[in-house]
Amino acid sequence: MAFPSHEPTGRTFDAGDYTYKTFTSQSGKEVRILYGDKRTGMTLRLEYTNIADTAADDFITHYDEVKGGFTTFTLPSQFRTGWGGSAAAIDVTVGNKWRYAAPPSVASVRPGISSVTVELIGVL
Amino acid sequence: MSKVYTGRDGKLLIDGTEQIKVTNWSLTGALEVLETTTLGDDQRSYAPGVQEFSGSAALLYYNDDGRNDAATALKKVLKIAGVSSTDTVDLRLRLVEGNTNHDVRLTAYVTSVTFGASVGEVSSAQISFQGTGALTGVTI
Repeated sequence: MAFPSHEPTGRTFDAGDYTYKTFTSQSGKEVRILYGDKRTGMTLRLEYTNIADTAADDFITHYDEVKGGFTTFTLPSQFRTGWGGSAAAIDVTVGNKWRYAAPPSVASVRPGISSVTVELIGVL
Repeated sequence: MSKVYTGRDGKLLIDGTEQIKVTNWSLTGALEVLETTTLGDDQRSYAPGVQEFSGSAALLYYNDDGRNDAATALKKVLKIAGVSSTDTVDLRLRLVEGNTNHDVRLTAYVTSVTFGASVGEVSSAQISFQGTGALTGVTI
């Protein structure tokens, strides 16, 4: 099963960074060594507020299928709903894939209705 | 035939007993709505959530048989022992049209009572109530 294609009600994207190490001398001179040419560690928080329980459990099912944070996956285009910029700008960069950074959080709102929060991280 | 209701048509029944000397009552029904707007939408959308019913009434504090006067409502809050889950009242807010009663019926807790005495005024009691559960009857 692919990641659920429901349209999120909230989305927060953090662009991550390139892998480098910084060395600072006693004089304050800073040297940085770049260890890779790909940006990684981007984080994505998706919120699905007041959705049906039958939709909410799709995220738990997917979480089981990818063995929690163990297996990486790609996201359907629906996660970018409402984003007018470049599709690649808020997705993982080339070479990266998403994995779960935390278990999906399901909050019951009323009978049959729940809110789900998913936190993902992009990894090489 | 059309009918314009006035205060003369209003009645308040507590536990099936019509209260005397009622000067007003009001009922508010509210619906919580749950927002379901997604990121691509241009307009907000909602799903129905939980309903709530509450209201208030004012009664002249008239000493009668203890069931049809303000004492009934007052005793639900003004009591030595604490209020328990059984201290609900069966409220019927009624508008009368000839032989037809138009009721809203609910089970409620009396949540506040205010009464007192003032020089030159008839003592009155104001009560507020909070419905619990669904309405038990609507014939408006």
